[in-house]
Amino acid sequence: MKKKKMIKKALFSLSFILVLVACSSDDSTKPEEETNDSFDRQALLVNWADNIIVLSYAAFNTETNSLVTATTTFTENPTVGALQQLRETWIEAYLAFQHVSMFEIGKAEALNYRNRVNVYPTNASEIDGLIADGNYDFSLPSTIDAQGFPAMDYLINGLASSDEEIITFYTTNENAENYKAYLNTLAETISTLTETVLNDWNNGYRDTFVNNTSSSASGSVDKLANDYVFYYEKALRAGKVGIPAGVFSNDPLPEKVEAFYKEDISKILALEALEASQNFFEGKKFDGTSNGESFKTYLAYLNTIKNGENLGNLITAQFETSKSKLEGLNTNFSLQIENDNSKMLTAYNELQRNVILLKVDMLQAMDISVDYVDADGD
Amino acid sequence: MKKLLYSAIIMSLVLASCSSDDEAGDIQQDIEVPTNYVFERGGETTVQYPGQTTRLQMSAELIGSFKDFDSATKESLLNMFAHVEGANDFDNSALNASGKNIKSKIAASVDYFSANVAESAEIKADFESYISRQVDEVFPNENTVATTGVAGQIADGSSARYVTGKGLELNQAFAKGMMGALLADQILNNYLSTAVLDEASNREDNENEVLDGDSNYTTMEHKWDEAYGYLYGDPSIPVADPNSVLGVSDDHLLFNYLGVVNSDDDFAGVAQNIFEAFKTGRAAIVAGDYELRDEQVTIIKEGVSTIIAVRAVHYLQAGKQALADNNMGAAFHDLSEGFGFMYSLRFTNNPNTGAPYVSPSELETFKTQLLEGNGFWDVTPETLDSISATIATAFDFTVEQAAN
Repeated sequence: MKKKKMIKKALFSLSFILVLVACSSDDSTKPEEETNDSFDRQALLVNWADNIIVLSYAAFNTETNSLVTATTTFTENPTVGALQQLRETWIEAYLAFQHVSMFEIGKAEALNYRNRVNVYPTNASEIDGLIADGNYDFSLPSTIDAQGFPAMDYLINGLASSDEEIITFYTTNENAENYKAYLNTLAETISTLTETVLNDWNNGYRDTFVNNTSSSASGSVDKLANDYVFYYEKALRAGKVGIPAGVFSNDPLPEKVEAFYKEDISKILALEALEASQNFFEGKKFDGTSNGESFKTYLAYLNTIKNGENLGNLITAQFETSKSKLEGLNTNFSLQIENDNSKMLTAYNELQRNVILLKVDMLQAMDISVDYVDADGD
Repeated sequence: MKKLLYSAIIMSLVLASCSSDDEAGDIQQDIEVPTNYVFERGGETTVQYPGQTTRLQMSAELIGSFKDFDSATKESLLNMFAHVEGANDFDNSALNASGKNIKSKIAASVDYFSANVAESAEIKADFESYISRQVDEVFPNENTVATTGVAGQIADGSSARYVTGKGLELNQAFAKGMMGALLADQILNNYLSTAVLDEASNREDNENEVLDGDSNYTTMEHKWDEAYGYLYGDPSIPVADPNSVLGVSDDHLLFNYLGVVNSDDDFAGVAQNIFEAFKTGRAAIVAGDYELRDEQVTIIKEGVSTIIAVRAVHYLQAGKQALADNNMGAAFHDLSEGFGFMYSLRFTNNPNTGAPYVSPSELETFKTQLLEGNGFWDVTPETLDSISATIATAFDFTVEQAAN
């Protein structure tokens, strides 16, 4: 294989010398790997960027600003009322995050954005240690499990069983100042990271993204398709449902659900993420008015049929089935796992069906190579 | 191509039994290969390899301690490496009581190093330097973000990797390197060596069932089992039926990667082939059929060497992909594993030549190429491809087969 490639390269350089003219900008493209369908990839990228991605980040950015404000209000005057207000704001922001988490491309990828904002379970003992120490740097990868929404979850929901007791960590506790500072830094970090990503889209990356219409592995469609499927498989299917349900371990791990300390929002977070994934698949504009170019319209263009059915319709139907299974679960996934994990596993199975349809059938139809492999866990 | 390799292995198995049938049917009738690795004399097992299990456990604990930033010291880690009986080096007190250690068996095989003590000393020094540099270079930068030329931590997804200024994870270099320098070297170049199996009066004693001291085994049987123990000796692996936990044991060394490679469709069956060869060879020893025994040695040498080569190529290619994606943390982790497996190729054994599949001098060149200048920070895809291709070609599989 290797030799063949080198010969190809040599031939290519030969023809390069022969044609000589007009080849100077040809360095990065690999004509032999381009697909031949003439679907309008730029229209797809424009709908994604302008009608979905940037608007989703803008909306989430607004929520993170509110989160910073609510955190500041609470830490300046830690009352039960302010704590409850902060908690509501935190939930709103957490829901809005579910609409951007799948777009780990460009600046978000460079920043390791999703991991900085939402690695769970959070490391409570590490957080305790960092607060006691008062010295921490959230840009260090080793603090990834001590920051983001899950760390805030611990600090506003998990320190004690009643709101009155939680307040004491920010009032009478000997480290109260450190608790406040840590909480403020958490909210500010989420906000700063989000603003950085949004600004990058608004200041040039949008054009880079929509103009990179190559159908090679480095093209925008191929890359975001991979990011999207990776997100769906790892963060949504496995992270929110499969891992806590014990699919990847000997026993169920109910302590690994999203928003473990808040207890009753793991289901709405999962449903929100599922809806955002489905909307993106169908090209639904962020304002909800209409659908634009999407994976689904691309599949329709390719006229991809599986088992006699249009693949895009099969995927949409599977999203709906998954949603109905998730809706039937307890609002608190931890309780669902402890009381009747079989329902959790059934929901997982439905989510898994779309991994096959998206990762195998859809990507194959679009001639997109999967660019990630399962890590071997060490 | 690789399919050919395995058909060759299977063919040699078939041929082995055929030729025995044709030429010496009476011997063949005596050889019963059991379903599991169960060999007994007088109703008691003859299979024992506690020394191998001990060294695997010592290795696991030492490798884990590479990231014990709070309490490990250079001295404590080096003491684990060169443990002396009774010293309180390990959490596991049984290991402390043992007179065995890791260092003495690094690059210590009869075939490769008995007349090559200078290189053996250099290799031991490499492993000691991984320990020293972890403490001297990486520990002080525990809370520094790694950049070109600066040791520290770097993100790999939700994990933090700790690397040298060249991007090398020393714990990975150590762990993956010792799979060759300790495990493969002892299995292939020592215990399965004719010089060891047939040493002194081993054959005569084996045939006359002269047992080894108070033990229930002959010396030759025991040497074979000691080879077995370096591959299958983790306490989480059942002696009789190791492949029943393939892919799910607690082992992190060769057995683990045997499972990983076996799960790749391109190499499916390698775990069963190696296990069958171990069983058949052991049964052949019991029956005194040394020709059949040595045919199994050939299969094991090819199989174990191939595991190492496949993972070397796999990780170098994975690193190349991650570098292209600008995911430096993931890239450095892959390249560090790839570096370690590549280092381990020094200890592979091509049964056709009795030497490593890739020459030691070529491997030296590769190590230099990977780590010169800023190391992994600026290694090129061309370098990674050319090293991968050389390894794959030497083994008769393709880069693509190992990479996927």
